[in-house]
Amino acid sequence: MIVTVLKPLDEILESISPYKKILIAGCDGCTQPPRGMREVKTLKQLLELAGKLKNKKFEFKLTSVVKQCDTVLTKSTIKPYVEDIDAVLSLACGAGPQTVAEVFPDLPVIPAQNSHFVGIDDREGGTMFDSCSSCGDCVLALTGAVCPITRCAKGLLNGACGGAREGKCELDPERDCAWELIYKRLERLGQLDRLKEFRPPRNYQKKAWKVAP
Amino acid sequence: MTQVAEAKPAVNINDDYCSRCSICGSLCPYDAITRDHENDKMILDIEKCQVCGICASACPARAIDTIYYDRDSLLNYLRKVKPNYKSDTLVVMCKGSAPDFSQVGKLFGVNDFVPLSVPCVGRISEELLLAMLAEGIKKIDILACDEDYCRFHRGSPLTGRRVMALNYMLSQLGYGKDTITMKRNSLKVKVDKDLCIACGNCVFYCPYDAPKLESEGGISFDLDACRGCGLCVSLCPAFALDLENWERDKISDLLPKLIAEMKPPKILVFRCQWAVYPPLNGDVSPNVRAIELPCSGRVEAIHVLEALQNGADGVMVIACSEDDCKQEGVSAKAEHVVAKIKGQLEQIGLGERLGFGSVSPRYEGQAEEAIKQFRQKIETIGTKGKS
Repeated sequence: MIVTVLKPLDEILESISPYKKILIAGCDGCTQPPRGMREVKTLKQLLELAGKLKNKKFEFKLTSVVKQCDTVLTKSTIKPYVEDIDAVLSLACGAGPQTVAEVFPDLPVIPAQNSHFVGIDDREGGTMFDSCSSCGDCVLALTGAVCPITRCAKGLLNGACGGAREGKCELDPERDCAWELIYKRLERLGQLDRLKEFRPPRNYQKKAWKVAP
Repeated sequence: MTQVAEAKPAVNINDDYCSRCSICGSLCPYDAITRDHENDKMILDIEKCQVCGICASACPARAIDTIYYDRDSLLNYLRKVKPNYKSDTLVVMCKGSAPDFSQVGKLFGVNDFVPLSVPCVGRISEELLLAMLAEGIKKIDILACDEDYCRFHRGSPLTGRRVMALNYMLSQLGYGKDTITMKRNSLKVKVDKDLCIACGNCVFYCPYDAPKLESEGGISFDLDACRGCGLCVSLCPAFALDLENWERDKISDLLPKLIAEMKPPKILVFRCQWAVYPPLNGDVSPNVRAIELPCSGRVEAIHVLEALQNGADGVMVIACSEDDCKQEGVSAKAEHVVAKIKGQLEQIGLGERLGFGSVSPRYEGQAEEAIKQFRQKIETIGTKGKS
């Protein structure tokens, strides 16, 4: 899913300060934990408490869209509020505020989240990490389902680079070397011969910016 | 976290009266009482004790003292409050099976009764029940938790056997055979499937594998497995879950009433009902009001914020330590929930107004001390600047 982190409350407060009547719109879609009604209500309470300290008074309305990146769902959910609000504060990933802007061209929309990556939610490990760059030319079948484009700091197609130390990346000792993960995984699958294949440079023209379903 | 100095143990074996029968040791659910074979004494390891009171209720020599809800304080309470009620029916309820007496009418068919709420009915001895009848009580209704739900494992089953034996004896003496009745009730999660977004949070956090994510139709709960800790309810991102008798709206309604009663500095406490045993008819501080929850896992960020919005100067969460948690590891998760909301409050300069204390009833006054320290901190930062 898309991994997002709530912006600092000061920044959100600053962004919404020109407006009075604000719709906080959550998204029940792919973020984990979902930025649904609980996050919406909690953010409202925090902004009210912070606003009170700064003598700022807002009128919040609350809603959550099943999938805020969906123009139809966003339109039907937000439409009933449009006449009565000055702006939308979106809790979705970067696609959410842009969807609101597409659907309601006259309505200011402010992001409450910083979107970081398409990631794996390792619940037991308590972390989420970057795992897909949406490159448009998936190589996971060749690499034991570990993405070298995303998880190798150098994005190498024919790794490893030789710089890894004890399984960690030379650029970030916290980060696993993707090519070592690929080697171990192919070893388990009995597919080490895949490493003998040379992978030619990628054709970045394959990356689409628009797709018809 | 507030560090609290060790104080007087809440349970004590008086060696002068102890007859070494070891009934206490055989009934203790936590193996806290053992026989010292060198000098033949019964030894209580207070660090293992969870203060259920079963040992004290079963001791034939009355050699075990407990500072909470002992025989004398329960009888004194009964004598004091009985004249306030027209009824001569007593309802004794484990607070784990219901937070208040609102269900009693439905469960027992009585509307006027003398109420008595205790942490585990296992601490009520046969002798105490007879003494209550001798005080003019004509009928006793006992509400216990379901047997496999009893926080102290043996309290509910033991009480069932006691009631059966006592009724048999009382009927031989000419009393009605239902002089003492007992029912069991446990509070469980409630699901609104229409609100569920099938995110799987509850499946991940439930310590008992009660929720299952169906391929179609969202979540379903195995209510026999649910132990009513409320953690899933507090974390559900879509408000699709609620907890019987500790509903979100019920707590929200209670908050402003309690805060209005207080004098500044107003300290609102959310406490696990197993971490603190408040005394019967104890003195209530004008600065502190508490909301009892079935576990600190039921503490919701929105309630903490609502308390601050409604004029509380400080909010404190009182939980059991991870080792003492009556639910499997839920108090540790509750600490994370509190830490997260504290981090957000810090961003707006209100972080210090949320406190977390981990206490146990096994020593006298631990919770009071933790709240006192928190209150002093709130007094130094003042009551101005918010509310």
